[in-house]
Amino acid sequence: MYRKKLLAVVLIGALGVSACGANDQKPAGDAAKPEKGGTLRILSESRTLNLDPAKSQSLAITTLGLVHRRLTGWQNAVGQHALVVPDLADTGKTSDGGKTWTFVLQDGLKFNDGTPITSADVKWGVERSFAPAFGGGLGYHKDLLGGGDYQGPFEGKELDSIKTPDARTIVFTLTRPYGDWPWIASTPAFAPVPKGKGAEADYQEHAVASGPYQIAKYQKGVQVELSRNPNWEPAKDQVRAGLPDSVVFQLGQEASVVSQRLAADSGDDRFAFASSFVSPAQLAQLQQNPSAKSRVVTSKSGAVAYLALNTQKAPLNNVKVRQAFQYAVNKAAYQVASAGTAALAGDTASTLITQGIEGREQFDLYPSKPEGDPDKAKALLAEAGFPNGLDGLQLVLNKSNNQTDKGEAVQAALARANIKVTIRSLEADAFETETNLADNPTYDLILGSWQPDFPSANSNIQPLFASSEIGKGGYNTSRYSNPEVDKLIEQAQSTVDPAEAGKKWAAIDKRILQDSPVVPLIYTRNSFIHGSKVGNFFIADFPAYPNYLQVGISK
Amino acid sequence: MSTPVARSVPAAIRSVLARDRWALAGTVTVVVIGLVAIFADVLTAIEGHDPYTYDSTALDPATGLPAGVLGGVSGEHWFGVEPLTGRDLFAIVVHGARTSFLIGLAATLVSIGLGVLIGAAAGYLGGWVDRVITWSADVFLGFPYLVFMIALGAVVPVEFPRALLLIVVIGFFGWPSTARIVRAQVLTLKERNFVKAARTLGASPWQVFRAELLPNLWGPVLVMATLSVPGKVGLEAALSFLGVGVLPPTPSWGRSISSAIEWVAVDPAYLLFPGLALFAVTWGFNALGDGLRDALDPRLGAKR
Repeated sequence: MYRKKLLAVVLIGALGVSACGANDQKPAGDAAKPEKGGTLRILSESRTLNLDPAKSQSLAITTLGLVHRRLTGWQNAVGQHALVVPDLADTGKTSDGGKTWTFVLQDGLKFNDGTPITSADVKWGVERSFAPAFGGGLGYHKDLLGGGDYQGPFEGKELDSIKTPDARTIVFTLTRPYGDWPWIASTPAFAPVPKGKGAEADYQEHAVASGPYQIAKYQKGVQVELSRNPNWEPAKDQVRAGLPDSVVFQLGQEASVVSQRLAADSGDDRFAFASSFVSPAQLAQLQQNPSAKSRVVTSKSGAVAYLALNTQKAPLNNVKVRQAFQYAVNKAAYQVASAGTAALAGDTASTLITQGIEGREQFDLYPSKPEGDPDKAKALLAEAGFPNGLDGLQLVLNKSNNQTDKGEAVQAALARANIKVTIRSLEADAFETETNLADNPTYDLILGSWQPDFPSANSNIQPLFASSEIGKGGYNTSRYSNPEVDKLIEQAQSTVDPAEAGKKWAAIDKRILQDSPVVPLIYTRNSFIHGSKVGNFFIADFPAYPNYLQVGISK
Repeated sequence: MSTPVARSVPAAIRSVLARDRWALAGTVTVVVIGLVAIFADVLTAIEGHDPYTYDSTALDPATGLPAGVLGGVSGEHWFGVEPLTGRDLFAIVVHGARTSFLIGLAATLVSIGLGVLIGAAAGYLGGWVDRVITWSADVFLGFPYLVFMIALGAVVPVEFPRALLLIVVIGFFGWPSTARIVRAQVLTLKERNFVKAARTLGASPWQVFRAELLPNLWGPVLVMATLSVPGKVGLEAALSFLGVGVLPPTPSWGRSISSAIEWVAVDPAYLLFPGLALFAVTWGFNALGDGLRDALDPRLGAKR
């Protein structure tokens, strides 16, 4: 999704994605070995820090993972596939081809208040994510658990599809076979919440912890301090290093100011990293500062940035018109507008499945130069009955992360093919209201980017192109509805063998792009900067974010 | 009783330009930039670039910054280029002058027109009309109009012509200060014998306004107009700076300045040219307006 989403480079080696020739890339962390102890500071642009698992879209390896464990976790490293590994429980077993999944929790796990973590607490946490008051989190599990009109556990009802035969066993019965369920069990809703608790809206400010840290102080909009959880045992956790003694989140920090502070590297900033991307202007500046440049870490790949075309609104309901956009865009200009250079921005994209995902096939249905082919676009538009081009299209985008500059690059590129576009830059909330929450939206085009929430093509494709994801908060912003594709998606999802599922997803990728509901632009790279005393700060092949759980302070 | 107008307006302008070299410099600046705005297309055609075309060949491939010193200033690109886009900065500044002048002058016309009519009505008619207008003017002067404009900019549909919206909104909020001054002038004028005579002969308020009041208001109105243009130009720039002004890709100094701020450490020239242009226009109108006021208002006496 638009904030903390992932990307995917799991199979870089296998697929030989050699296009990543980024000369400025430095995926590995500092040589300085981090030690136990110290205070790690995380500088966040956002004014809110959500530590409520039900409301969270956090990756398994970022913020939320410091406080909450989940049924399963991720193990990732530079140059390796991301793996789903045991966390609270094992990685799950299925006996009937992916419809019923059984997880067994480790023995002797405790919350920070000393009470044991049981399967009932995990069940309660999942049920809680169905309560309307605690919406907004990742919801891959909701349909699969048959929660149609389930309103959460606070009205006294249980979710029948989850059984807890004993204190350490939890069994999920899905509505249909689903091969990626162990990955779903690593999403935030699968963190335990003590049964009966968490009914209050401000649960995030004093959530009961299962991870290495507990919430010591929560100052809304200013700062959140985490201290060690005395009941967390490192031996029972293979995904968290838990090195610093405390972690401090400083909220509402202006991204460009933070970049400059971290480049200067003085005082407490030496023990800090920024959770926001380094902006293009800052990147250009850091190129001239060798010390700071060495502390910038750029991911190998990331989200696919795309231009979504509203397939339900004239004139974009015409497939010929939509195909014209594939040639009209200028991916090279988009790269420069994103990060100044192609190497820092990421490769040009022509597929929906992101680099490194199992089964990904590199293809280009609409081959042209990176600069595009405006003449071909004009010809297609003429064929579709628009010899004079298009006028008055509305491009809606979210202001953050220099999206407006990127939107202007798209606008200028489309103008070459006589497609005249007006840009509306909105704040995040307004953007959501007018796009994925709107029943009958007025936009024609949307600039978006999408990283899979787990390293499977499923997470590339289903959220963006299944007809069930149109409106109501879903991210199918091209409003693409094709019964054939819906059926293919369901078939691929029920395939448990990853290699076989991968092939099916690659075929769906091609099938969707024939209809041209979106124009893939680039596979984005993310750049982060950290202070000189922050060690083991790396961005693995998946996801394109630093692994917060492994970062430590060096002496 | 003071004499509101010391001499005819054209004569005053001639004399101020002859004797006040600051006012002269201001006038020259305003005229030059005004001509630039009018002939923007010609100028950019001579230079050979338009403000919309992206050109990555003008950028340093290692950073996305303009290639060359001082933001890429060269015979090819007179003011250099924008970082990350390679759009020609001269073309942007020159077309930005058109945006600024169009909105600044048109909004001034709206606000002065409204102000004169409302102020004259208050002063001449008096009574409850005067009380209502004076009270409304106070409310409007204290109104947080910038916040209102930002909100309006966010809710008005994009199909509505943005320049027209800015002209109407900026112009509308400018009437109270003009109206107050005009009202004060009219209060003194209406006690003068020629106005009393016209009224006694049965002239309607509108006839009195047209024939008797307006000719005597030109001086102060002209001074007010000149002095309020920079404020309007600045307000347009401020709104564009905040992202609720004219829409991209229409060039605007305010928007250029806004995006240049992030680049100032590595590419100061990007901020310099639009910044200088905005400074020159506001200074030019202020200098001219000051000179006019000195010349037209005998109460201020000595000249520089």
